[in-house]
Amino acid sequence: MIILFVVLPLIVAGLLPLVGKVSRRVLPDLLANATLLFLLVYAVVAGRALIAGGPVLQQTAWLGEAVNLRLALDGFSLLMLVAVSLVGLAASLFSIDYMEHYGAKANYYALYLVMVAGMNGLVLATDLFSVYVFLEVAAVASYALVAYGLGPDELEAAFKYLMLSVVASAFLLAAIAVVFGMTGSLEFAAVAAALKELNAGAVLAIASACFLLGFGLKAALVPFHAWLPDAHPSAPAPISAVLSGLLIKVSGVYAMARIFLNVFGLTPALSTALMVLGAVSMVVAAFLALGQRDMKRMLAYSSISQVGLVVLGIGIGTPLGIAGGLFHLFNHALAKGLLFLTSGSVQQATGTRDLDAMGGLAKRMPVTAAASLIGSLSIAGVPPLNGFWSKLIIIVALVQAGHPVFAVVAVLASVLTLWYYLLIQRKAFFGKLDEKWAAVKEAPFWMTVATVLLALLCVGIGILFSSTVTNWIQPAADVLADGVQAVTGSWGF
Amino acid sequence: MVLQTALLIGLVIFSVLAILLKDLLKSAISLAAASLLLGIIFFRMNAPYAGVFEISVVAGLITVLFILTIALTGGGHDVRESKLVNWVFPLVFVAFIVIDALVMKSLLGKVPALPSGTEAGVFGDVLWKGRTLDLVGQIAVILAGVFAVLALFRKRDKHD
Repeated sequence: MIILFVVLPLIVAGLLPLVGKVSRRVLPDLLANATLLFLLVYAVVAGRALIAGGPVLQQTAWLGEAVNLRLALDGFSLLMLVAVSLVGLAASLFSIDYMEHYGAKANYYALYLVMVAGMNGLVLATDLFSVYVFLEVAAVASYALVAYGLGPDELEAAFKYLMLSVVASAFLLAAIAVVFGMTGSLEFAAVAAALKELNAGAVLAIASACFLLGFGLKAALVPFHAWLPDAHPSAPAPISAVLSGLLIKVSGVYAMARIFLNVFGLTPALSTALMVLGAVSMVVAAFLALGQRDMKRMLAYSSISQVGLVVLGIGIGTPLGIAGGLFHLFNHALAKGLLFLTSGSVQQATGTRDLDAMGGLAKRMPVTAAASLIGSLSIAGVPPLNGFWSKLIIIVALVQAGHPVFAVVAVLASVLTLWYYLLIQRKAFFGKLDEKWAAVKEAPFWMTVATVLLALLCVGIGILFSSTVTNWIQPAADVLADGVQAVTGSWGF
Repeated sequence: MVLQTALLIGLVIFSVLAILLKDLLKSAISLAAASLLLGIIFFRMNAPYAGVFEISVVAGLITVLFILTIALTGGGHDVRESKLVNWVFPLVFVAFIVIDALVMKSLLGKVPALPSGTEAGVFGDVLWKGRTLDLVGQIAVILAGVFAVLALFRKRDKHD
């Protein structure tokens, strides 16, 4: 019943405003978190068994008649479902205490679950137009969530995000129209099979360019990144965590990788384009991050930089490169989710995001400081944390594939990353405690639980990286490495 | 062919007017005129359902909503924008037309196409049986829209 990943959050979202009339806090908290916990357990426990014999394809019947609710679950989509459920649950647990002062919690959770349903639907979709529809589902919910605080900054950021997303949608629709015009179908499998027969180099190049622009905007790759440093810091912390940790990856990287590798087939030109875009994003955003004083803005620029590394890894196109890219995608989702949550704890305790105004907070918020340190070191690629292994795999893959220059660039970008994360740690948590922060206390219970959960995962996956790669990353990488065969071979309904 | 070209040129002109006009009311009406022409183009290209939706929903309902909103907010005044914005759109538009003309001219003969037949059929069949997942997505978009309105126009608690 893989349709549960889409339908369950939608049903609960529909019920939440009604539940909110009965109980303003407890029931919405309970219902939303229980839904996400169920989806996580279902994905982790049942997921691997489900896809053990190849991809699962579901075509549902409605009142005895077959309807075209086609969904597919393979290694790649399962990895994304686990990431969405895991970071989604952590951010939702964090919201129990954090969203208390925003009010209208039931409504908040309803939007949050619609966003999760959108991401899950996109990951399970089997045709181009469904990808677009679920991309919009997640996007519409996220515009409202970015503006949830209703302050001028939030509204401006949400508007900017909306405008650039609409441009992205226009490019995606144009690309989908071109592909439909050429192949007469929208199904991944049928499109992939038809493109093999057609000699459509020039037209396919235009469709690829439109997809690259659209997904590049969604993934906030440089030079399409202008919206992200406004939107992500302005949102409430748990939403920043989900946007940076998940949404840009699902609606940008996942969709791009699925279409370019499994439907179009990765050509050398496309591979080079992805690698160059990835490398430029990685370096430019790392330099931009260095100059920030706002803690969340620095984290937002870091997201652009790390997504660049993920795209660089996947763009190599070799099995090892893809595995490294996907592993880094997963690790970055956990670590960046963690860092945005800890930044939320700090902002709530101190009322500021200005790094220069902080200092010595580790003495007052030891757990948050420790969790933030783990997240920072993980993204910076310090062993034995999870981020180290994924960066190592990508760099090894780059050298193996004969791209030593890109490998050197990736190493240098990692050094920059370590530099700005140490800046965050030094300015916010270490040094002398300013007197004005003497009354600051550790974050409330559920906020701490959420950050500790993600921090433990960063450490745990770092230590058990080998089994994580074998069990979760490799099946996902195999799907992408199989290229067009992955959908034409086994996705026929 | 002449009628089709005239319709397409009209569509582009009204779309551009909708962006360039400073008076919100005139802008909304230009948009309605553009979607009316688009609806007629849909009809002429054998897509009656798309035409009906375009004319009734986009040219009709949405225009009514726009005009209501403009009336309720006491709008109808000019929107002030920086001078840069006045220049950006026409420049981008001209550049787009030039690129479009160059690319399309060289591409027109080269677009290979397979006959589409597998997804054609009666409208109801296509919607209910062919695109059911999209209907689920549609429900989700509507839910998101409703929750967004509830969230963004909520009364703020006293401790907000």
